[in-house]
Amino acid sequence: MSQVNREVPPIWTTGWTDVLNTGTWRSAIPVHRKRPSPCRSACPVEGEIPVWVQLAREERHREAWLTLALNNPMPAVTGRICHHPCEGECNRGRYDGAVSINALEQFLGDLALEQGWTLPEPQTGPEQRVAGLEQRVAVIGGGPAGLSCAYQLRLRGYRVTVFEARPELGGVLRYGIPRYRLPEAVLAGEIRRLLALGIEVSLNRQVTAADLKELEEEYAAVFLAIGAGKAKLLPQFPAGDARVFDGLNFLDAVNTGSSPRLGRQVVVIGGGSVAMDAARSARRLGSQVKVLALESKGSLPAQADEVREALEEGVLLYDGAMVQEIGGEGERLSLACCKVVLDTGAPQGVLRPVALPGTGFALEADNIILAIGQDPDLSGWDEKLGRDKELLAVDFRGMTSRRGVFAGGDAASYERYVSAAIGQGKKAAAGIAAFLSGEVWSEEPAITAGEVSFAEVNTFYFPVLPRQERETLPVEARLGNFAEVKGGYGRAEAQLQAERCFSCGQCLECDNCYYFCPDMAVVKDSSLAEHYRVLDQYCKGCGSCVEECPRGAVVLKEETR
Amino acid sequence: MGYSIAEEKIFNSGHAACPGCSEALAIRYIVNTLGRDTIAVVPPSCIAIISGPQPYSSMRIPVYQTTLESSAASAAGIKRALKAKGNDHTKVVVIAGDGGTYDIGFQALSSAAERNEDFIYVCLDNEGYMNTGAQKSSSTPYLAYTTSTPSGKPTPKKNLAEIMAAHGIPYVATATTGYPDDLARKVARARELKGMRFILVLTPCLDGWGLADNAGPKTSRLAVESGIFPLYEVEDGVRYTLNYGSKGIPVGAYFSQQSRFKHLAQAQLDEIQTMVDVNWRRLQTKF
Ligand SMILES: Cc1cc2nc3c(=O)[nH]c(=O)nc-3n(C[C@H](O)[C@H](O)[C@H](O)COP(=O)(O)OP(=O)(O)OC[C@H]3O[C@@H](n4cnc5c(N)ncnc54)[C@H](O)[C@@H]3O)c2cc1C
Ligand SMILES: Cc1ncc(C[n+]2csc(CCOP(=O)(O)OP(=O)(O)O)c2C)c(N)n1
Ligand code: SF4
Ligand code: SF4
Ligand code: SF4
Ligand SMILES: [Mg+2]
Repeated sequence: MSQVNREVPPIWTTGWTDVLNTGTWRSAIPVHRKRPSPCRSACPVEGEIPVWVQLAREERHREAWLTLALNNPMPAVTGRICHHPCEGECNRGRYDGAVSINALEQFLGDLALEQGWTLPEPQTGPEQRVAGLEQRVAVIGGGPAGLSCAYQLRLRGYRVTVFEARPELGGVLRYGIPRYRLPEAVLAGEIRRLLALGIEVSLNRQVTAADLKELEEEYAAVFLAIGAGKAKLLPQFPAGDARVFDGLNFLDAVNTGSSPRLGRQVVVIGGGSVAMDAARSARRLGSQVKVLALESKGSLPAQADEVREALEEGVLLYDGAMVQEIGGEGERLSLACCKVVLDTGAPQGVLRPVALPGTGFALEADNIILAIGQDPDLSGWDEKLGRDKELLAVDFRGMTSRRGVFAGGDAASYERYVSAAIGQGKKAAAGIAAFLSGEVWSEEPAITAGEVSFAEVNTFYFPVLPRQERETLPVEARLGNFAEVKGGYGRAEAQLQAERCFSCGQCLECDNCYYFCPDMAVVKDSSLAEHYRVLDQYCKGCGSCVEECPRGAVVLKEETR
Repeated sequence: MGYSIAEEKIFNSGHAACPGCSEALAIRYIVNTLGRDTIAVVPPSCIAIISGPQPYSSMRIPVYQTTLESSAASAAGIKRALKAKGNDHTKVVVIAGDGGTYDIGFQALSSAAERNEDFIYVCLDNEGYMNTGAQKSSSTPYLAYTTSTPSGKPTPKKNLAEIMAAHGIPYVATATTGYPDDLARKVARARELKGMRFILVLTPCLDGWGLADNAGPKTSRLAVESGIFPLYEVEDGVRYTLNYGSKGIPVGAYFSQQSRFKHLAQAQLDEIQTMVDVNWRRLQTKF
C-alpha cells in the first residue's frame, strides 16, 4: 500500500473573532465628553469648580488657585462672603452634604496671599499691537464689578484705567462689608496683586455723565460699574433726624474708623445682608439690637449663616413685622409696629405686607438704622445710556444703548452679590473685547444644557465622607471687637474636603469605562483630549461604560443606520 | 481612585456574547490574568458560544470543548498528560456554567477535588441553564422564575462554595463582575497555587434575569452588599477571609433590578430576607 500524505491542520481554529464586526448590533454609541457640572452652571463667575477642586485634592495648590483665579481674581474675598449658589446645586448635596466649595475657595485664596503668588501675566508683545490690543478702556467704579472687568481686559492685553470716586478701591467690599466678615488685609492683598498687572488707577475721581464725551475720545470703550450706593428711605421716618441712619452710611463710618456714638437701644429695619451687618456692627459697638424684617425668619434675604451668627451674638429678630408709625417727643424714638404677612399675589420681587389686626406692639429706640435696600444713583447717566426701572439697561453682552459703553454690577442688575458683580465684570470684558475686535451680535445664543444630574453619578465609587464646616469664633470672643468670625481650613482638612467632589462631567482617567467593557471596545489614547476612544467595530452599545463612569463623563449617543 | 489590573491580551473583541454580558467581562479577567501559557476547558454553555464560532476563537490560547458532564475529568487528564510530557508550567483552567458545575458535571468535579487534581476550576454562575433558554439549575435562587419553574423555584440555591471548601482543597473563592480587581486578584492568587483551586463567579445574566444591558456590574454589587453573595476566600478548607460582605442593603433592592423576582409578595420577600440574614450570620462566624 502506498503511503498517503494528508495535510492535517495543526489546529481547528484558523483565526480570531476580532475580524468580526459586532458594532453592527448596536443602536447607540458611548461618547466621552466633558460636561458642565451643576455647580459651575450655578456659579455667577462660571468657575471651573470640578477642575480646581480636583487640583486641590491632588495638593497642586498653585495650579488650583490659578484655575480658580482665571474667572475670579479675588477668591480670598469670595471664599468668605460669596452666597455660594454652587453649593446649593452641588450633586453631592443629594448624597451626604454639598462639597464645601466656598471654604475651599477661601483656603486657596488665603494660601495664595500667604505665598505671594502672582496672577497670570497679561498678554503683551508685538502681536498684541497688531491685534489692536493696545487700545485703552476706561472703567468707572472700583468695586468688584469694575475690578473684575479691568482684570479680564488686562489679561487680554488691553490697557485699562479705573476711575474711583473714593480714596481707595473696593467699593462695598471696603466701605460696606464689616471687617469681622472681610478683614482689610485680605481685601488689600487681592487688590494690590491685581493692580500689579499694570492697571492704572485714578482715585478720588468722581466721574459724571458730563465727562462721558471726553472719556470716549480718549478710550475705545467704557465700563460703568458705579454700584448701588443710594439708600432707599421710608416715608414714615423723619428726614434729617440725627438719630436715624441709613445702613450704608453707618457701615461706611464704621469701616473708616469714624463710628457714630450709638445709644443703648438700636433698631435696624430690614432683613438683608446690609441689615445683618448693621445689626452685628452695632452689637459690637455695645448696643442692644433689634432687627425688624417683613419676611419670616426662614426666608430672609440675608444668608443663613449671617442670620444664625447675628442671633448667636444676641441680636433680637422681629420677623414678619413692620413699623407703622414713629413717635416720641423725648430722647427716645418709639416705633408702633405690627405683625404682617406678605401678599402672595404681589408681582415677583415686590414685597406687599398685609398688617395682621390685633398684633400691634411697640419698640423703643435711641437710634434707628434703615437697611431696606439701595438703588444706583443714575442721575445724568440714564439720559445718555437708557434705564430699566432703577437700573441701567444692558444687552446680554453688557452693552448699554450707547455703542461702546458697557455697564454691570449693582448699577445694572438686581442680583446684588459680589460674585454676580465679578461675573458681570467678566462678561462685560468679553463683550468689550468682542466690540473692539469689530464683532457684531444680535441675540443671546441658546444655552446648551446637558449638565450632569445626580442620577448620573455612580455613588458606589464614593464612600460616605461627611462635610466639615469651618470653625467660628466663640460668641464671647466676638463682641466688643471686629475680629474675623469665620476660620479657614488647614491643609489636611482642605485635602479631605476636596476629596468629596464627584468631579461631575470631568473625566479623571479612572479607567472604569475601559475596565467594564465586556467587548474591549474602549481603548486608552493619550493623544486625544478625552484620553479614550470607543471602537466602532466592536462596541455593542450596552452602556456599561456609561453606567460605571462615576461622574457622567461618558454619554450614549443614539445612532441611526 | 480607579482600578489597576494587569492584563495580557488573550480575550478578543468580536465575540458573540450579548451586549453587556457579565460572563464575557468575567472571561476577560480570567484568561487575561492567567496569560498565554494556559489551556482552557469549556463545556457546553454560554461560555462555549463566547469562545467563538468555528473556525474563529475569542481566546488566544488553546480551548478544549468537552461534554457537559466531564469538564473536571478532561482538565485533570490534560494536566496529567502535560506533566507526563515534562511540562509543569502550562496552567489548565476549566471555565464552566452553573448547570455544568452544580448539576451535570458535579461528580467529575467532586472526585477531582477529592484527588486534589492540579488545575483551576472557574464556575461562571448565572443561576440557570441560560444558553438553552433559562431553565432552572440547582444554583437558581429560591422562588426565582425560570422557564422550568414558572411559579418560582421551590427550593433554595445549593451552597457550592461551602461544598467545595468542605473538600479541603487549597483554594476556594467567590467573586463577581462588579469588583473586577478583586476577581483578577483571585485568579492571580489561584495561578500561584498548586492542586485544585475553585472560583465561583456570580455573573448576572441580562436576558435570563431580566436586567438592563448596562446593569450587570451594578446588580452584582447589590448581590454582595445585600449579603446574598458575599465575596470571600477559603484556604485549605479552613482559613476564611472576607473581602466584601453585606452592607445591610435589603434583598428587595437587589431583586428590584430583575424581572425574575417581580412576582414575589412581601411575605416572600421577608422570608428570603430572613434566610439571607441567617446565612450571612453563619458565614461571619467563620472569619
Ligand atoms: C453692607 C453690604 C453687605 C453685603 N454683603 C454681601 C455679602 O455678604 N455677599 C455678597 O455676595 N454680596 C454682598 N453685598 C452685595 C455686594 O457687595 C454688591 O453686590 C457688590 O459690591 C456690587 O459690586 P459693584 O462693583 O457693582 O458695586 P460697588 O461695590 O458698590 O462698587 C462701586 C464703586 O463705584 C464707585 N463709584 C460710584 N459712582 C462713581 C462715580 N460716579 N465715579 C467714580 N466712581 C464711582 C464707588 O465708590 C464704588 O467704589 C453686600 C452689600 C452691602 C451694601
Ligand atoms: C448532558 C447534556 N445535557 C444537556 C445538554 C444541553 N445543554 C447545552 S448547554 C446547556 C446549558 C448549560 O447551562 P450552564 O452550565 O449553566 O451554562 P450557561 O448556558 O448558563 O452559561 C445544556 C443543558 C448537553 N450539552 N449535555
Ligand atoms: S460634586 Fe463637585 S463637580 Fe459635582 S456639583 Fe458638587 S462640587 Fe460640582
Ligand atoms: S461597555 Fe463597551 S460595548 Fe458596552 S457601550 Fe461601552 S464601549 Fe460599547
Ligand atoms: S469612567 Fe473614569 S475614565 Fe472613563 S470617562 Fe468616566 S471618569 Fe473618565
Ligand atoms: Mg448557567
